[in-house]
Amino acid sequence: MIRTKPCFLLVVFCFLFLILWLGTSICPAEQPVDQVQTVTPEEKEEPEKIIGAPQDIKQRTGILVFVIWMWISVFVLIYFLRLKIKEADRLYRFRFYSVKKN
Amino acid sequence: MINGFQSWLDERFGLSGITGFLTKKTVPLHRHTIWYYTGSAILLFFAIQVVTGFMLVLYYKPTLEMANESVARIMTDIPLGWIIRSVHSWSASFMIAFVFVHLLSIWITKSYRRPRELTWMSGVFLLLISLFFGFTGYLLPWDDLSFSATKVGTDIPRAIPVVGAWVTKLLRGGEDVTGDTLTRFFGIHVCMLPVFLIVLLAVHIYLVQKQGMSLPLEEEGRQEKVEEIPFWPNFVFREMIVWLLLVGILFTVAVFFPPSLEKAADVMAPAPEGIKPEWYFLFLFQTLKIFPAHVLFVSGETLAVLLIIFAAILFFFLPLLDNKPTRTKGKVITVLAYVLVLYALIMSVWSLL
Repeated sequence: MIRTKPCFLLVVFCFLFLILWLGTSICPAEQPVDQVQTVTPEEKEEPEKIIGAPQDIKQRTGILVFVIWMWISVFVLIYFLRLKIKEADRLYRFRFYSVKKN
Repeated sequence: MINGFQSWLDERFGLSGITGFLTKKTVPLHRHTIWYYTGSAILLFFAIQVVTGFMLVLYYKPTLEMANESVARIMTDIPLGWIIRSVHSWSASFMIAFVFVHLLSIWITKSYRRPRELTWMSGVFLLLISLFFGFTGYLLPWDDLSFSATKVGTDIPRAIPVVGAWVTKLLRGGEDVTGDTLTRFFGIHVCMLPVFLIVLLAVHIYLVQKQGMSLPLEEEGRQEKVEEIPFWPNFVFREMIVWLLLVGILFTVAVFFPPSLEKAADVMAPAPEGIKPEWYFLFLFQTLKIFPAHVLFVSGETLAVLLIIFAAILFFFLPLLDNKPTRTKGKVITVLAYVLVLYALIMSVWSLL
């Protein structure tokens, strides 16, 4: 289990890093706009319906990559958790916790 | 270094006492153990709601002029705003779905048996608060659909005799759904309900810890002893797997099916076609619709609302009504749970047709 600990932390770190990277690349930060607005109220068109997800193909691909990466990370973490469960169950069967308590 | 920090914290907070308690706490392993995971799933979605809610409230403006515009800004201008809103909206649905499943599993396995009546009752209150969270949150985007649905929803209590009109006025902050209603709903959604929910949740969790995990009736009747595992770490690790899967599903759904936003509601405009409440109110909505205008001398709507309130009261006092779970009465009450699920499904699908 000692060897799996750094691997586990590495996966978690990579996962967090990817989230951070995608967070800044999928949706670019707000661009500065001119102080003086030239659009008059009459010209301003109100859309009927706003769709949340970005429509740009590049951004959509980025999101798809993020979801795939997230699921890979989920399954890697589940693999490590299953190892931890097996170890915890083994320790419980050997009465490790009850010995520790006493 | 980590161990040093751990012992430093332990010296101050007495964390070893908590982990000691959690190690002593056991979870029974049987064919219904899967239902134990629904409780922590609700907590997970509530935590996600709190975090995403904090993020949304930084940009949301609860006024008639700015509400719709600020939600549109969150969805289009704010970096990752659309996904935060989508996760908030979907986790609300997931949370309510899990509250329903949690309560139904307790009903079917009869885990509310003595001495766990108060745990059930606090759970029913938590369901009501969750539903009210959904109801108040639905208006906040202030678009055509949410405005009309709230108008219909807040009009329903009017059918209750004596206090009905007063309840509607209290909910709306006046005679009609206006900017005051929006501000009121926002206040209830972000201030009042979280406080009530956290207090009730604390009571509910305390009761669960105090009484321990309940054994389903059929497991209790067996001769052989049910296998148990410690809550910490054995069960918590298993729960973590469920959490990871649920977070994965939540993000996937939120990314591919984000909620849209209609144009800002016009208070003077007629109600649009096909007003529908959120999915968890559909069966109640359809129940109200199928009642005739008049039943004898009573208005159909009044009768329907009174029947729903009566059913809710019975649901609340279920552990007291089901005091002999092994007898015929107990079996009939279990069958009623399946009937209710079937009824809710049929009504919900019917209302969508």
